[in-house]
Amino acid sequence: MSTNLSLYSGIFCIFIIIFVLYLVRRERINIKYSIVWLLLFLALLIFLLAPGLLASVTKLLGFQTSSNMVFSLLIAVLVAINISATVINSSQDKKIRSLIQDISILKKKLEDKNKR
Amino acid sequence: MKILLVVPAYNEEKSILKVYKKITEHNKHNQLKYDCIVINDGSKDKTEEICIKNNIPYVSLVHNLGIGGAVQTGYKYALEKGYDIAVQFDGDGQHDINHISNIVEPIINGEVNMVIGSRFIDDNSSEFKSSLLRRCGIKIISFFIKLVTRKRVYDTTSGFRAVDRKLIEFFATDYPTEYPEPVSTTKILRCGYKVKEVPVSMNKREAGVSSITAWKNVYYMINVVLSIILVGLEKRK
Repeated sequence: MSTNLSLYSGIFCIFIIIFVLYLVRRERINIKYSIVWLLLFLALLIFLLAPGLLASVTKLLGFQTSSNMVFSLLIAVLVAINISATVINSSQDKKIRSLIQDISILKKKLEDKNKR
Repeated sequence: MKILLVVPAYNEEKSILKVYKKITEHNKHNQLKYDCIVINDGSKDKTEEICIKNNIPYVSLVHNLGIGGAVQTGYKYALEKGYDIAVQFDGDGQHDINHISNIVEPIINGEVNMVIGSRFIDDNSSEFKSSLLRRCGIKIISFFIKLVTRKRVYDTTSGFRAVDRKLIEFFATDYPTEYPEPVSTTKILRCGYKVKEVPVSMNKREAGVSSITAWKNVYYMINVVLSIILVGLEKRK
């Protein structure tokens, strides 16, 4: 990889890490959900800083080129993150639904009580 | 026997009072009395105001949940208040109050756990049978339910249904959010409950729009069929 490209990629990774940390500080992301993003971009950063590592891992896993490996692994990780987000989403859906129902019934009971 | 009519209503300001009046009217003239609870599913119109003004018993959901979530609220309510039978009765005037006694009867006699008011059992029974395409969809769903449960259900999407105490308990804890009718029917058939269909006629809705809009139809079919197959893959309880 050219030095320029490495530089830009590194800046990008650092930017994402800082952005995620910023979101955590603003309480827009829970810490437990931020960790997977931080680890992912930290790993990318390590690969950028140690080009030899990238080459040897590529060879080890049997990819033709480093870029193929990076793309494949990234896509796999992103899909995994996305599916787990869908799982979390669905379970929250369920919880919210049952909360709305129970609160609404409670409200009705309370109003009936006050009427009497 | 305590019977509760669960009336899900989303933006039904034009028809909800009429539906309620029909119920009270019916109770005046008949021995079999029905309680009713309107589940106002976060309506944006005056449905709630009309309920308050006319003393219609209602539960107002604090957020919109969609038909499945609304109906399940009714089952939860029926469970807590100790009802023996819960009848799903639409708030848009599609269902005829005079048919309820037919729907409830097999449950009172202890024959079955659920009765579906069906438009398709007997050809003369219903003037309103919905469009050809819709009927075709209902047939396809019927085929898949048969495949998974070995039982034939004709009017798979009918929202005019009555269930006994056991199924009130079942639905209060486990009711599908989306496409609830065919999916829940499949589920309880798989669990070994008995279901019967009774012919009813339905009217065209008096006002408001159906929850199934045209462009969603294909998506709806894929979803329902997939859900039914998935229920079929679950272990029998």
